[in-house]
Amino acid sequence: MSEPPEPPPEEPSEVEYRRPAWVEPPADMVPGIVPVELILARTPQRAIGLTGIRAYPTGFGCTLHLRLREDIPGEQSNFGAFNMFGDGVDPAGEFADYYLRFGVGFADGRRATNLNQRHDFDEGPAPDPPTLWLVRWEGYDRLAWEVSLWVYGLPPPGPLAFVVEWPARDIPESRVEIDAGLVLEAAARAVPIWPDPPQR
Amino acid sequence: MSFFVMPAWQPPTGYRIPAWLRPPETMVPGIVPVELLLARTDTHAVLATDLRAYPTGLEFALTARPHPDQLQQPRHDPDRPHRLMYRDLWLELRFADGQTVSTDPRRWPRTFETNQPDPPFLYYHGAGGSERGWRSPHWLWGLPPPGPLAFVCQWPAGQNPSSGVEIDASLVLEAADRAVPVWPTG
Amino acid sequence: MSFFDKPALRPPIELRMPVWSRGPEDMVPGVVPVALLVARTDTHAVLIDGLLVYPTGFDFDLAVRRHPRQPRHHRHHPHLWDDQLRLEVRFADGRTADNGPGRWPRPSGDHLPDPPLLYQSVSGPDGGHVWLWGLPPPGPLTFACQWPAEQIPPSQATLDAGLVLAAAARARTLWPDEASA
Repeated sequence: MSEPPEPPPEEPSEVEYRRPAWVEPPADMVPGIVPVELILARTPQRAIGLTGIRAYPTGFGCTLHLRLREDIPGEQSNFGAFNMFGDGVDPAGEFADYYLRFGVGFADGRRATNLNQRHDFDEGPAPDPPTLWLVRWEGYDRLAWEVSLWVYGLPPPGPLAFVVEWPARDIPESRVEIDAGLVLEAAARAVPIWPDPPQR
Repeated sequence: MSFFVMPAWQPPTGYRIPAWLRPPETMVPGIVPVELLLARTDTHAVLATDLRAYPTGLEFALTARPHPDQLQQPRHDPDRPHRLMYRDLWLELRFADGQTVSTDPRRWPRTFETNQPDPPFLYYHGAGGSERGWRSPHWLWGLPPPGPLAFVCQWPAGQNPSSGVEIDASLVLEAADRAVPVWPTG
Repeated sequence: MSFFDKPALRPPIELRMPVWSRGPEDMVPGVVPVALLVARTDTHAVLIDGLLVYPTGFDFDLAVRRHPRQPRHHRHHPHLWDDQLRLEVRFADGRTADNGPGRWPRPSGDHLPDPPLLYQSVSGPDGGHVWLWGLPPPGPLTFACQWPAEQIPPSQATLDAGLVLAAAARARTLWPDEASA
């Protein structure tokens, strides 16, 4: 005797709030990874590295590594890591030179930097890509921090630039370029975690 | 050409406390030259201090202090005594024309945060302290009429009859006349 | 003569994390070019992502992904290992490390614990961040997980440890002429 078909699943009473695509990568995909390890800037005291570009169809994530060679007596320094992404400090204000500036530049001239972080970024309509968003930062102590970033929007073919500047710390505007094709190929390698379900 | 373009300045959009819940921001107050002992037990005292008058109202601090001997006692939880002790400390002001105002929130109009209430209205901006003392900034919106002005508190809650102090409201009104704007107009 | 005397400099007294709980502070890591799907059910998936390798060990994100139509359940803060996502890492030579409780080595001077050792620095309903002390030998490197509370059965996926070792070789010391001997 065959069983009656199962009733369709009830609509979940509590739907998870999904953050928009310009704030985080798609949760239902495995990224393609670009195995780059870049050093964007290095002085005798400080270094800024960038690794691990993780690409999706909607954009790419990467990790900034902020390094201080040794504790500097008398210096107030979390790299400006929290100043780096807002937290109440005006990047154009009186402490502008202490604001660690980071950005990505596409070959067609479009760019996204950390100078326009808004607390309400995840509300409102979709912004024009590219945009840059701080996802997470982790620091073991004063000497080493990892900052996880999300760039909304994929670059066009051509050079893809990563740019930093930190005037008060003797880091002039510095850029490293990679071939955007690496990112686009990695984005094409991203796969969905759940293939389309079979029809019930 | 620089890669980084500084953003345009944007004015702050923070919430401002409505004018009827705080002293005027651009005035220097007139000082009311009294400190008032409102209630006292063997172990604690309640005072009204730092009275400052403006044309729109009166600012003061409701403070509570333990007797110095209390500080020597070992305490299981140094926070607990003062939090519980002052929890039900409500203040009432009684005017010469019979009006009264109180910080008991049950007596506040429901919409006081968005709709300007008719004066007088008595508000307090939180409270803080430690076992050494507790302080709560208060604001009376609207000046009292001439005549007696009583500060009354019922504390410890429910145990003693209410106690308080009466002053001459003219002390407050004269101090309000002495308030000056920080940036004179004209 | 100035009214103010500048106070004497005070050296920072910040506690340093032990060297076996994190990557070397003066290096930029090498990247493993794959992300690993360790477990997948109809509702959940567990991903090993962001593998960044140093000569002493490697960092990664342990990511829990939920199917887009899956509602999130609020649950009490888990304090039992049974309630948490359990992870074990297995080397080809049989050595293992996991994120269970009670494995924290006692500090004893300069003695470093035997690798491998797993330290999960961030832990939450979406997974967390993990540091593994020690590099695997060549051969398969297995990540195994289970999460009974979320109906994720024991699951595993394997990576060629050669990818990790190659990434370790690409890690760079930032100030090589000042590196301590």
